[in-house]
Amino acid sequence: MRAFALAPEVEELRSAAERLGRSELAPNVREAEAAGRWPDSVLAVLDGFPLGGLDLTDDLGGVGAGLMAKAVVLETVAAADAGGLPAADRPGIAAGAVLACPDRALAAAVAAGCLDGSGHCGFTVIDPEHGSAGLDWAPGWPALRWIWAMEGDTLRLHEVRGTPEPAVVLAFQTSGGVSVPFGATTVTGSWDLSPRAALAVRGRARLWAAAVAVGIAKAALDETISYTTERVVFGKPVAHHQGNAFDLAHAAARVHGARLVVRDAAAAFDADEDDAGFWATQAWLETMDAAYNATNLGIQLLGGHGFIVDHLAEKRFREARMLAMLAGARDAAELDVAAFVLDVDDLLAVPERS
Amino acid sequence: MIELDVRTREMLEEVRALGRTHIRPMGLEADRTAMPPPVDHEFYLLCTRQGGIVAKSIGADESPTALDWKPVRNFLLGEETAYWDRGVALSLPGPGLGGPALRNTGTPEQRQRFLEIFNDHSKARWGAMAMTEPSAGSDVARIQTRARKDGEGWVLTGQKMFCSNSARADWVVVWATVDPALGRNGHRAFVVERGTPGFEILKIEHKMGSRGYETASFVLDEVHLPAENLLGGESFYESRRGFKASMATFNMTRPLHTAHGVGMGRAAHDFALDFVRTDYPAQGRRRQRALERLARIRRGLHTARLMYLNAVWLAKNGESNVLEASFAKMYSPPVVLDAVATALDILGEAGVRNDKMLEKLYRDVKILDIGEGTQQVQRVVVARQLFGFPRDE
Repeated sequence: MRAFALAPEVEELRSAAERLGRSELAPNVREAEAAGRWPDSVLAVLDGFPLGGLDLTDDLGGVGAGLMAKAVVLETVAAADAGGLPAADRPGIAAGAVLACPDRALAAAVAAGCLDGSGHCGFTVIDPEHGSAGLDWAPGWPALRWIWAMEGDTLRLHEVRGTPEPAVVLAFQTSGGVSVPFGATTVTGSWDLSPRAALAVRGRARLWAAAVAVGIAKAALDETISYTTERVVFGKPVAHHQGNAFDLAHAAARVHGARLVVRDAAAAFDADEDDAGFWATQAWLETMDAAYNATNLGIQLLGGHGFIVDHLAEKRFREARMLAMLAGARDAAELDVAAFVLDVDDLLAVPERS
Repeated sequence: MIELDVRTREMLEEVRALGRTHIRPMGLEADRTAMPPPVDHEFYLLCTRQGGIVAKSIGADESPTALDWKPVRNFLLGEETAYWDRGVALSLPGPGLGGPALRNTGTPEQRQRFLEIFNDHSKARWGAMAMTEPSAGSDVARIQTRARKDGEGWVLTGQKMFCSNSARADWVVVWATVDPALGRNGHRAFVVERGTPGFEILKIEHKMGSRGYETASFVLDEVHLPAENLLGGESFYESRRGFKASMATFNMTRPLHTAHGVGMGRAAHDFALDFVRTDYPAQGRRRQRALERLARIRRGLHTARLMYLNAVWLAKNGESNVLEASFAKMYSPPVVLDAVATALDILGEAGVRNDKMLEKLYRDVKILDIGEGTQQVQRVVVARQLFGFPRDE
């Protein structure tokens, strides 16, 4: 049985992230979106956590605080504003690839570049049957330097030549997105990983997105409840109509469940469990559905107000969807769990591993 | 299988041609710039000159002032136009939502006065309707805009929001109340013409999607109107038909909303299908999954299409379609949103990019579940119709 309480040092990080979000991020969401980046002062505070190095090991220049700490900080910051997170966390979604890279010197060089702010990482999952001409989106324009690509169980590192083109995408405008054709990169390494190690790389990427999605979903739910308990229709607050109350209760249960599975998968990674990648992928699938449900309901119950930029409901709706399209999107995730489902024991059947 | 007459097929082909050359490019440009096409856009002039989006779509028996129009054909054309871009479809010149209100409620003189201008094909013109207010959306009975008698005429005071095309309209049908305490029985509809002192546009809303048409807020600051601008005349409201008249408008616009949704869902389906055809390996493991998903999209859209056609058919035959219009409006938006989301899943990571159009469609479609009565309102209407769901719930 895992402990549900956060370790004191993780709780301290969570509390600090919450203060930052409340004082610096939440009041300036649209300004940051228009600017295409968070202010340097905010990025400096996050570097001090250090956001990018929380889950990196000592040999890569990280602090080795683990994925639970990272997931909690991501969720907390995302609840205030997720828009700039992909760019603020420079190894970010690719951290699992950096950790798994067999060429430790190369991995250390990439990690150092991320942590000193000189470059960003992108990450993509390529179906071997399908192929890919490039990376459709990564944060950090114009500083994207490395693309980690997983094609089947093969991990490749591409170094970006020149300055990539900015990309107009569905969400995360605060992170300054880029698209890069592989033709504009140089492959600097390629490694065949074991199936489980490869799934762990994909799982870590998915868990990054899932943790952010939990924060977005929680914020959406909070705003929806706040709005619907104040606005009156047909004689009583929107939330007090039974049909709406049931929808809100259902959304809240799903967000709660999503947070639990994300933290459980993070704990599995921190305990170095073999099936952590599988459980992270399951957590991602559960969280993407929960976040979609909560953000969609957010727009729905705000009505027309949810569709205009005066509120953040529309932004969270876009962000939740975009997170569901990273790291190979749903197909890659479902194919992964289908491939491993017969090989992974049910958690209840193996209590000694918990 | 829906059988279409020859003329309808021809008109659909005309819309398709215009969709490729004008409607979709205009929609993409409006989305990129976050501005609807300007009122003097050549496409609007083209539509106006030929009397509709397709040549001769409005025949001698179908002038805008006539009550006998051919709804089924118009709804299919609406679906097809939305396939190319619903925002642009809603921005097309014409009486807009004010049209059904005038046709259903207006006196012969009012229909002549306010709808006749659309027979002047030298200039693009718009009409609009305003119901929603900052504090009254789904619960339209709570509108606060006041109508005060002033001698023979009226004075309007209040604020409206989320009004399509109202900033470019020649006139707006404005719903107000003579006394909020009267609830629905206090409702009156007025035609407010552009330039009337006190009628002032506040802002054009900045929306997540559906940017091809403008959505505006405006204030009514002591707007003086003659008695002739009270829609239907005083006698109409003495029979307590005011609120029912406003709701009757929605009984035809809800199926049109559904038709638009089916068009948008088809657009997502076709985009994903093209992607599967060109980008998926013929024997790959993902191909079969993608085709099964596309089949599911088709099932939902086909059902939604039959729902809106059924609602229109009932209205055309003079039967109540309150339940069926709400069935259609309740059923289709989630189906369409799921269609676009599924199409995005089929594209995978590439779907996030603006140049793939699907990310725009994802931002566009959400409004379908809000405008013309939210999903929640449709559920209430259906429950009332089915088993007398009480009004206080």
